[in-house]
Amino acid sequence: MAIECLVLGAGQEVGKSCVVVTIGGKRIMFDCGMHMGYHDCNRYPDFARILAAAPETTDFTSAISCVIITHFHLDHIGALPYFTEVCGYHGPIYMTYPTKALAPLMLEDYRKVMVDQRGEEEQYSYEDILRCMKKVIPVDLKQTIQVNRDLVIRAYYAGHYLSKLKVLGAAMVYAKVGDAAMVYTGDYNMTPDRHLGAAQIERLKLDLLITESTYAKTIRDSKHAREREFLKAVHKCVSEGGKVLIPTFALGRAQELCILLDDYWERMNLKIPIYFSAGLTIQANMYYKMLIGWTSQKIKDSYTVQNPFDFKHVCHFERSFINDPGPCVLFATPGMISGGFSLEVFKRWATSDKNLVTLPGYCVAGTIGHKLMSGKPTRIDIDKDTHVDVRCQIHQLSFSPHTDSKGIMDLTEFLSPNHVILVHGEKPQMAFLKDRIESELGMSCYYPANNETVSIPTTQNMKISATEKFITNCAALQARDSLQKSDLISSIHLSGVNEDERLAEGILLMEKSKAPKILCEDEFLKLLGTDRHSVQFEPLLPSRIEEAEAAIVDDLTSE
Amino acid sequence: MDGSLASSDPGPSFAKPPGSSGDSGPCASRSSGPGPEVEVRALVSMAGGLYPLARAEALRGLAAVVEKVGTSGGAVECCYGCAVELLRDEDQSIRLAAVRLIGLCAEKFAGREEVSGIGNGDQMDLIFLQLSSTARDMCMQVRIEAFNGLAKMQRVSEGVLLQSLSKKVIRTDTGSGSICKANKLPPKLIFPCAAGIFAHGIEDEFYQVRIAACKTLGALAKFSGQYAQKALDLLMDMMNDDTEAVRLQTLQTLFNMATYGYLSVQEKHMHMFLATLIDANAIVRNAARKILGLVNLPKLQMFRSALDGLITSLEKNPEEQDIYSILFSIGKNHGSFSANVAKHLAKEISTAPNGELILDKHRIQALLIVSISAPVSADKHKKLDIPSVIFSHAIPLLGRISSALGEDIIKDLSYLCHPSGMPFAEKGLMSGEGGRSEFWSVETMRGTHALIEKTRKETNCSDEVLIMGSMRLMLETVEETWAMRESCGIEEIRTILRTCKEEVKLIQLENSYAIGPTSLDILLEKLDTYVRRMKCCYTGLNRELEVQVLELVLLANLFRLSKFGVCSKLMLDKLHWIINQLDGLCADGSCEFSDFSNTVKQTFDANVIDGTLVVDICNFLKIFRLKPAKDFGMLNAASAVLQVLGNNSENPLPYICGLPVGVSFDISLSNISGHDRIWIRMNSGQSIQHAFLELSCFEGNDEVKSCSTVIPFYATPLACSFVLRVCLVIECPSGSICTHYEEHGGPRDSVVQLCDELNVYLVSTDTECKN
Repeated sequence: MAIECLVLGAGQEVGKSCVVVTIGGKRIMFDCGMHMGYHDCNRYPDFARILAAAPETTDFTSAISCVIITHFHLDHIGALPYFTEVCGYHGPIYMTYPTKALAPLMLEDYRKVMVDQRGEEEQYSYEDILRCMKKVIPVDLKQTIQVNRDLVIRAYYAGHYLSKLKVLGAAMVYAKVGDAAMVYTGDYNMTPDRHLGAAQIERLKLDLLITESTYAKTIRDSKHAREREFLKAVHKCVSEGGKVLIPTFALGRAQELCILLDDYWERMNLKIPIYFSAGLTIQANMYYKMLIGWTSQKIKDSYTVQNPFDFKHVCHFERSFINDPGPCVLFATPGMISGGFSLEVFKRWATSDKNLVTLPGYCVAGTIGHKLMSGKPTRIDIDKDTHVDVRCQIHQLSFSPHTDSKGIMDLTEFLSPNHVILVHGEKPQMAFLKDRIESELGMSCYYPANNETVSIPTTQNMKISATEKFITNCAALQARDSLQKSDLISSIHLSGVNEDERLAEGILLMEKSKAPKILCEDEFLKLLGTDRHSVQFEPLLPSRIEEAEAAIVDDLTSE
Repeated sequence: MDGSLASSDPGPSFAKPPGSSGDSGPCASRSSGPGPEVEVRALVSMAGGLYPLARAEALRGLAAVVEKVGTSGGAVECCYGCAVELLRDEDQSIRLAAVRLIGLCAEKFAGREEVSGIGNGDQMDLIFLQLSSTARDMCMQVRIEAFNGLAKMQRVSEGVLLQSLSKKVIRTDTGSGSICKANKLPPKLIFPCAAGIFAHGIEDEFYQVRIAACKTLGALAKFSGQYAQKALDLLMDMMNDDTEAVRLQTLQTLFNMATYGYLSVQEKHMHMFLATLIDANAIVRNAARKILGLVNLPKLQMFRSALDGLITSLEKNPEEQDIYSILFSIGKNHGSFSANVAKHLAKEISTAPNGELILDKHRIQALLIVSISAPVSADKHKKLDIPSVIFSHAIPLLGRISSALGEDIIKDLSYLCHPSGMPFAEKGLMSGEGGRSEFWSVETMRGTHALIEKTRKETNCSDEVLIMGSMRLMLETVEETWAMRESCGIEEIRTILRTCKEEVKLIQLENSYAIGPTSLDILLEKLDTYVRRMKCCYTGLNRELEVQVLELVLLANLFRLSKFGVCSKLMLDKLHWIINQLDGLCADGSCEFSDFSNTVKQTFDANVIDGTLVVDICNFLKIFRLKPAKDFGMLNAASAVLQVLGNNSENPLPYICGLPVGVSFDISLSNISGHDRIWIRMNSGQSIQHAFLELSCFEGNDEVKSCSTVIPFYATPLACSFVLRVCLVIECPSGSICTHYEEHGGPRDSVVQLCDELNVYLVSTDTECKN
């Protein structure tokens, strides 16, 4: 038996994650994402190849046992409505509760952008999304689900979160058919944040691990250092009477920074106000309160006493506060100062060199955030008529969503699978990581390109019965071993004790239509009805005395 | 044979008592019998079994055996090997037990190395790596246990340690590579498993793991300086942790490192330190200060920023008096930096317009303390000249800070009086009867005796130096004043000269103190107080004890005499009176005159010439022998309770400014006889008022008397509120020799406080109306 792994997306690239794995005749699709960079048919995985790989059937529903979505990023879920409603897949779809709650919002948002703004042809309608979501079966963490007679799946916490998008409820998925088992990681994070924990999984016996490798070569420094720099910059700014503007999206980073600042304010006994622009709190914290089980340990612990998302030092911002004197900290949407309220505030505050703007690690080209990060501009044109003189300080702060190369290695080492397949990364980095995994961990590793198939041999366990005599023989042998061992222990040096591998000799008998069994030599002979024949060999070695002597001398000197 | 040998001789000195071993294993309790190797054999085979719970239990059993056996013998190796095999088990409880067992084995190995003296560094490194590889386990308990195990490691090589801090794999020859080759490790361990375990540990999701990682970081610092330095970077980051327990543990770790001298603070760390100094949590602040008091700051700038941080902290939390002692020890640790601070401060003092420099300001106080700490610093070989103006300014603060600094430093500080030339009112500092009121028990006399002996030695040399020094300073002051006469107003110069004159007078007076109170003066005064209390506050002393107490009084007075060699009429009168009393007590022969009293008496009879005594007092002190009393009889301590009902800071009594106010007291006295003279002492600010208590007004018997009475306080201040400190005192009869209070209306003799000072809160009616 083998595991066939067909990579339909995210092979040697980032985007449209989609891997179809065939284990023991069961076909599972992990993620069904779209590529944000393409606007043609390349944006979706080439689903037709699934049918090509399954010659026995012509429709997707019978070709695929189930679809599993790890989290609700568009590059992991974007093609799902297309696959179910347009391609006509009607089988089960699994995702975690938060993913199911948040996915329709993401899909609808993107559909609107696609159709309304770009004027593209509609790939699927809002109704399609709703119909698709109805087919979804939500799963809980560590809940084992029997998809059909052979296939078992289980979700583990992956801790992934991405600053600009709302990611909560990302999962790693374990799938098992018969004795063959594998894990698909999706995107995950091995370092905990203040509001989301680190990935958690058990040590499993795996044949295959399919892992993301976004940061295959990078090793990130400690998040503490980044936090410290951030707090230092903010504290310095407000203590000199400046205002701090933190442009942010509603979910994820805002909560993370807020927990950080709220804590710091409490400790340092600062009285300077922290504001949330209207709308941010209501929408944002709702999901977290709803889905508390998916957050970090600290949040869970404190949740019983007080809601950790009710910040003590945070209050609502009124539009009229913009021109108020005195220091303050303001969280405003949207994140990259691409317009809206954060732009409005930026225009007022950027002109003073006392003020500070904190930017995320990544800004899309064309936004003001991007302009601020590239070099140190003194003047920014907002449109033809207006421009802003930028005198304020800029602080860049990156909270990274993916695990780094250390994290990938740690997880791989912990899970110790027989084979590793890398997806969701760039080719040169993946090649580097493959070398590391093969040389340091001694596992075979692959990084197939899109539409390539990797076949992996699996272990197969067999039930074998043993005869009574065989077992008694083994026990006798073991008893003798133990006796020797006791002698070894009482002497001072006993290096060999743990190295013995209790060997037992027997003969494996596999007959047609009978269960295989192990038996002893004698029994075997009896079964065959023959006598024992023994053949003896007399070793005759040609040797010369002189050579032998020389060899002995050599041995001695070398020692 | 071998077995019984091993069990009867469980290793010479490192064997733990059986009782201390863990009780989890079934074999742990069986200390006698077949010996450890049978247990080990059985448990090892169980550990290889099929069932996870049995495997885990077997490992726990092995741990119990390892704890029990000595360091010698192969059992430890055997257990270690077994644990290593199960380190990667699927079941987390087995991994947990395995990690724990490896930690124990490592301890045993280290103990063995200590005994034999032969270090096996490779083996230690190997164990370190094995434990490290579990520090990234997915199970929280395993991670904690791994860090706990790592903390106990001994003799780990630097390369491995450094690797554990950095996530990036360091490829060196001394690093993990060679070890792996040397020991033919399984391929899993070639993977540099120690990489960055601490970097991960301090970011862990669970605070318990973070605490364990933090402890281990500190514990390993002793092996390598380079490691300690890098570990400090990580620890600094942890001060921003969101859990308070972790922050406190971090500070504790830093404190330990500082205590052992592994902490070298750099400029980039100062920001975090200064932030913790103004933390909202008092425990955090306190811990941060303690560390700061120990570290060595390499740059003047850092020193100054540390001082600024402490001053800010002092301004925010003025109640935290231990900041003063931290300032002192920081100053002491950085002698030349403090000298620099002193120089700047002196400049500031001299340039400040008159009256502008307020000593109450925390900044000035703090800087003064740092400045005066310089001369006691370790780098005495460098000549640190502290401007004398610093000392003269520091003197008034002495009283306030001495309590914060503690006894040891006070002794150090006696040098202050030497270079300072300030006229100084003794009343402010005298402990006299104010403040403390611990009851003196007869049993502690031995302690006093030791104290007396010590003081005597110090006495002889110090007084001469003190007088000479102050005279010289005064002459200098006069000279300076002469030079100043053109620049300053004549009024000012006159004041200075007058002060000098008065001071000279003070020195000339035989029975007065040279300048300011020294530690010796304070001690003498304390001694006087205690002896007086013994004499007055205990009724039912038997004859023998009474004689002893009187001898002590005599001794205390002789000490005062010894200070100047010659004595006044007053002193002599007092001595005569005591000797006469002694005479009276021993007249009927029930008690014997001691050698000491005898000699003193004879000397006094013979040597008084023109009212002065010319004799070497030290001779007397040599003869003095304290006979420990055997029979104390029935001792009754005189005491009193003073109360003002319904008065506290929330409910003050009303008064009208400038008019007398009546305060009603509830007084109860115990063990006061009818002929004792009891006074009530009220004081507020500078004004002290005594009122005599007529004992006939009290109800009750000799043992307990009580009465409630209204006593007026006349000198109410012109303030919206004030605190009246009230206290009951008993007069000590000392013949007709008037010693202490010359003011009319007060007690004639010296007094002893009978109870703690009571605060009575009063508020002006004007303010009450306003509110």
